[in-house]
Amino acid sequence: MLLELNNIFKWVTQGGNRVFLLKHLDLAVEQGDFLSVMGPSGSGKSTLLHVLGMLDDFNEGEYYFQGEPVHGFRDKQRARFQKEHIGFVFQAYHLIDELTVYENIETPLLYQKVSSSERKALVADMLDRFGIVGKKDLFPAQLSGGQQQLVGVARALIGKPRLLLADEPTGNLNSRQSREIMELFQELNAEGTTIIQATHSETNAAYGSRTLHLLDGSWTSTPEP
Amino acid sequence: MFRNYLKIALRNLLRNKLNTGINIISLAIGLSASFVIGLMVYYDLTFDTYHPDSGRVYRVTSRFTSPQDEFVNPGVPIPLPQAAREEMTGLEIVAGFNTVDLHKAGNPESGLDFKDPGPQVFADAAYFKLFKYDWLAGTPEGLGEPYRVVLTRERAARYFPELNPAQTLGKTLVYNDSIPATVAGIVAAPQGRTDLVFEEFLSSGTFQKTDRGHYAIAADWGSTNSSDQLFVRLSPGTDPTAVQKQLDRIAKAQESDYDRQYNHHRTFELQPFSDLHFNSELQTFDNGRQPATSRPVLTGLGCIALFLLLLGCINFINLSTAQADQRAREIGIRKTLGSSKKQLLLQFLGETFLLTLLAALLSIVLSYFLLDTFAEFLPEGLHFGNFRETPVMLFAGALLTGVALLAGFYPALVLTRFQPVRVLKNQVVNTPGKPTLRRILTVFQFAIAQIFIIATLLVGKQIRYMQNKDHGFRTDAIAYLHAPWHLTSLDKNERLAREIAKIPQVRAVALGGNPPASNSSSTSTAVFFRDSTEIQSPLQMLAGSREYYDLYNFEFLAGRKPLNDTILEYVINEAYLHIIGFENPEDALNQNIRMNDENRPIVGVVRDFNPRTAAAKIGPIAIMPDWDRSREYSRFNFIHLDLKNPGDGSLSPTISAIEERYKEVYPDADFELNFMDETIAGFYQDERSLAKLLGWAMGLSVLISCLGLLGLVIYTTNRRTKEIGIRKVLGASLAQLGLLLSRDFLVLVGIAFLIAAPLAGWGLYSWLQDYAYRTELSWWVFILSGVGMIALALLIMGLRTLAVARKNPVESLRTE
Repeated sequence: MLLELNNIFKWVTQGGNRVFLLKHLDLAVEQGDFLSVMGPSGSGKSTLLHVLGMLDDFNEGEYYFQGEPVHGFRDKQRARFQKEHIGFVFQAYHLIDELTVYENIETPLLYQKVSSSERKALVADMLDRFGIVGKKDLFPAQLSGGQQQLVGVARALIGKPRLLLADEPTGNLNSRQSREIMELFQELNAEGTTIIQATHSETNAAYGSRTLHLLDGSWTSTPEP
Repeated sequence: MFRNYLKIALRNLLRNKLNTGINIISLAIGLSASFVIGLMVYYDLTFDTYHPDSGRVYRVTSRFTSPQDEFVNPGVPIPLPQAAREEMTGLEIVAGFNTVDLHKAGNPESGLDFKDPGPQVFADAAYFKLFKYDWLAGTPEGLGEPYRVVLTRERAARYFPELNPAQTLGKTLVYNDSIPATVAGIVAAPQGRTDLVFEEFLSSGTFQKTDRGHYAIAADWGSTNSSDQLFVRLSPGTDPTAVQKQLDRIAKAQESDYDRQYNHHRTFELQPFSDLHFNSELQTFDNGRQPATSRPVLTGLGCIALFLLLLGCINFINLSTAQADQRAREIGIRKTLGSSKKQLLLQFLGETFLLTLLAALLSIVLSYFLLDTFAEFLPEGLHFGNFRETPVMLFAGALLTGVALLAGFYPALVLTRFQPVRVLKNQVVNTPGKPTLRRILTVFQFAIAQIFIIATLLVGKQIRYMQNKDHGFRTDAIAYLHAPWHLTSLDKNERLAREIAKIPQVRAVALGGNPPASNSSSTSTAVFFRDSTEIQSPLQMLAGSREYYDLYNFEFLAGRKPLNDTILEYVINEAYLHIIGFENPEDALNQNIRMNDENRPIVGVVRDFNPRTAAAKIGPIAIMPDWDRSREYSRFNFIHLDLKNPGDGSLSPTISAIEERYKEVYPDADFELNFMDETIAGFYQDERSLAKLLGWAMGLSVLISCLGLLGLVIYTTNRRTKEIGIRKVLGASLAQLGLLLSRDFLVLVGIAFLIAAPLAGWGLYSWLQDYAYRTELSWWVFILSGVGMIALALLIMGLRTLAVARKNPVESLRTE
C-alpha cells in the first residue's frame, strides 16, 4: 500500500456555513497504480490532489503515506516527505519563467542537496530521455505548450518520486500533444511510477488502470482497492 | 545552488528595469551619503591615536570664573609643569612645552632666510616620551641644553637641502636674527593623523632667551598664556579624579588676594587627548586650521545619512512588497519542488544584497562627486583615497550587509509567506504585504523630505535676513587693509594713507584699528561710578581716527566725535549706555569711564552697530582715538578706504594702484585688501554651509521619495488598468480618473505634511534661539513647502495616471 485516505473531510467556512470541498473520502492506492480521477469543475479534483501532495491541509480524517501518518506530521516533516516522494505536473505547467529548461529541471535537485556532478548527469539523462536536449538553454516562453509540459514532467520526475500527481496535465494541450504526454505517463507507469491524474477527458482517463468519479467532494461510487 | 540564485536574481533585476533603477538609485544615494559621512567621522576620530597609551594622556587647561563671566584658556601658568613634577603623584610623564611662532629662521652658512616658517615649540625629552616620533638622527636627550633644535626631516630638507639627516646634526640655525640653535636631532613626520603640527622643537632652555623669556624666569602664577602647554600621562590605573583633586589643591594654594577679594576662581582641568581634536573652545595648535567638524555636526550629518539610507530602504520595501505577486508564482512552484522557507528567505536576501552591491558600486562614483561638492566641509587631509584604508572597507562591508538586511528582510518574509496552493490556484490577487505598512512608510518618507524642505527654506530666509540686516554702519564700497604687524609704524601708515588718498578712485581714507565688524576684538574691563555704585563691565574697544566715523557713517545719537586723534575721549554705543544705566543719550555725555586707573569722559553716543554676526547680541563697545600713542605704540594699523563705484564695474585698476602705494611703503609685506561686505558675508560661512547641506539633503530626499512614489503609482495604475477601462466606458472624464488614481497618494502626502510641519517648526524654533536677531517663523514658509511637495507629487502622478487614463478602453479590456 503506497497511500491510504480514511474518512477525509475538508471544508471552508463561508458566511457562517461550512462548504465542504472534500467529504467523507476514502482512498487506497497501491504501488504501481495509475489512477484517473474524473469529475466536473469544482468537484474537488484539484483539492484532492493538493491534499495527496501534502500541499494542502484537511480538517478531519487520516492520511497514511507508506504507512506513515501524514495527518500527525509537523510542517517540516511533511515538507521533507513531499520533496522526497512526490512529483507534480500542472495544467499550467508552472515552469519558472526566469530559468532555462535545464535550470527548471535541475531545481528540485538543488533542494535535495544532490552534488553538482550528479545533478549534471541526472538532468542530462532526463533531457535525453524526453528528447529536449536541443532545447535545454531556451526559456519556457520560447517553447510550445507541449514542450513546456514535457519539461514540467521531466522536472517532476527528476527527483525519482514514488508518486506522480498530475492535475489536468493536458488541459492546455492539443490532442496530439495530449496523446504524447499520456503515452509517456503510461510508459512511466509501466516502469513502476505510481500516477494519480485528475482529468476531464474520458480518453485520457482511459490510459489509467482505474478511474474514480468525484462529485461535490465525494466519490460517486465506492472505490474498489 | 548559488549560481542558480545569482542567475535568477540578475534576470529578475533585468526584467524589472524600472524597479531596479529606482531601487539602485535610491539606495546608492543613501549609501554614498553614508560613505562620505562615515569617512568624515572615521577621519576625525583617528587623530593622534598612534601615540603609546594615548588613552591615559591628558592636557591640563585653565578655567577662569568670576561673577561676570567664565572663560577657558588652553594654557597654564608657567610654574605649573614644575609644580606637577614635584608635588603631584600618579603622573607617569609630565611634559610642559611652549608654542611660539618665530617669524624668521636663517641658515647662516648658506645665507638663506625663511620667513614665517610655521609653529615651533620649546620642548624637552618628556615631550618625545609622551608623543611618538621616529628618530632618524640624534636623540631626545639632545634637547637637554639651551640653543638646541630638533627638526622634522621635511623641515631639515628645507633649511639644509644638500644634507642627509645625519649630516644635518651639529649645523646651526638662527631664529629671529638673534637666537642661534644647533641641530640636535631629526625626526620623521608623524606616521598618523595628528594635531601636533610642530616641525621644529627647540630645547626648553632656549625659551628663556626669547622675548617671552622673562615670563619663564619670573615663573608667575598670576598670568596664563595659551602658548604655555602642559600635557601629562597618568600612571596605569590612576583615577583621573584623583589627579584632578591634586590640581584643585594647587589652584587653591596659588589663589591671590585679588582673586579672593573679587571672587575670581581659577581651576585646572584635565582635557582628554581624544577631545583635543574636537574642542573648538580650547582649540589645537594650528590656528589656520579649519576647526574640526564638531561632534554635534557629525551627529547631524550622521542623521542625514541615516535618513537618506532609510528612505532608500523604504523604496525597496514598498516596491518589492507591492509587486510581490509577480514573484508569487515562482515561490509557489519552488515550494512544491521542495524548497524550505529558509532557503527562499536566503534567496531573496541574497537578491537584495546583490542589488545593494550594485547600488554600492554606483555610490562609489557618487561619493567621488559628493566629496568634491562638499570640499568646504571636509578637512584638507580627507580625500577619496581614504576609502582604501582597511577600517573604512570593513565599515562599508558592514553597512552593505546591514542595508541589505534592513531593506530585504520584510519583503522576503512577505514573499515566502505565500501558500503554494493558493498561488497555484491563482488566488493571490489579494494584496501582498500590508498596504497599511506601505502607507506608513510612504508617509514617513514624505515627512522627512518635507522637513528638509521647510528647513532649507527657513535657514535660507534667516541668512538673507542677517545679511540684509542693517549693520549700523556703512558696508558697501568700503575696503580696508592691514599694515604688517611686526613692521608697523604710525609714520609709515600715515604716509601710506596720504599716498592712497591721492588715487582718484578713492573717495576717502581713514586710519584706525580693526574695522567695526571683524573677527578680532579687544575687550577691557571698564568701571563706571554712578550714585556711588560701581558698575564693572567688559567693554570692547575700537580705535578710530576722526575720519573713521565719517567713513563708516556711524549715527550719533548725542555728542560729537573726539576732538583729535590722540585725545582720550570715549564714544560709546547704546548697549554700554544701557549698562551704565542711562536711557537718554544726552545724560551720559561728559560722564567719566575708568579704565586702567584712568578716568576719561564720554563725548558721544552712537547707535548700536553689529560688531560681528547677527547671531550674537550687540555688546558694549567704545570707540576711542589712538589711546596708546603716549606709550610709543599706535593702534592705527588699519587703513580704511571708501572707494568710488567704477563706471565699468572693474575694481582691479584701483586695487593695483593701492597695492603699488603699499609696496612702496612696505616692500616686504604681503598686500591684502579686504572688502567690508565680503567680510560680513564671511561671518555667515557656517550658516551658508548649513544651507548648502540642507539643500542637498532636501534635493536627495525629495528625489528618493518621488522615485518611490513613481514606482508605486506605476504599479497601482497597472493593476487598475481594467477598472480604468470600465470606468471610462461608463463615462468617467480624464480629470475624474486622475483624481481617482491620485487620491490615495495625495492623502498620504498631506498626512506627511501634517506630521512634518510641527516637527520642523519646533526644530527650527530652537535653532533660531541661537540667534540674537532672527527672522520670523513665517507661516508662508510652511504653506509654500507643503504646496510645493503636493504639486510635485501631483505632477509625478499626473504624468502616469493621465497616460493610463487616456488609453483606449477597448485595448485595456481586451487584454483581460
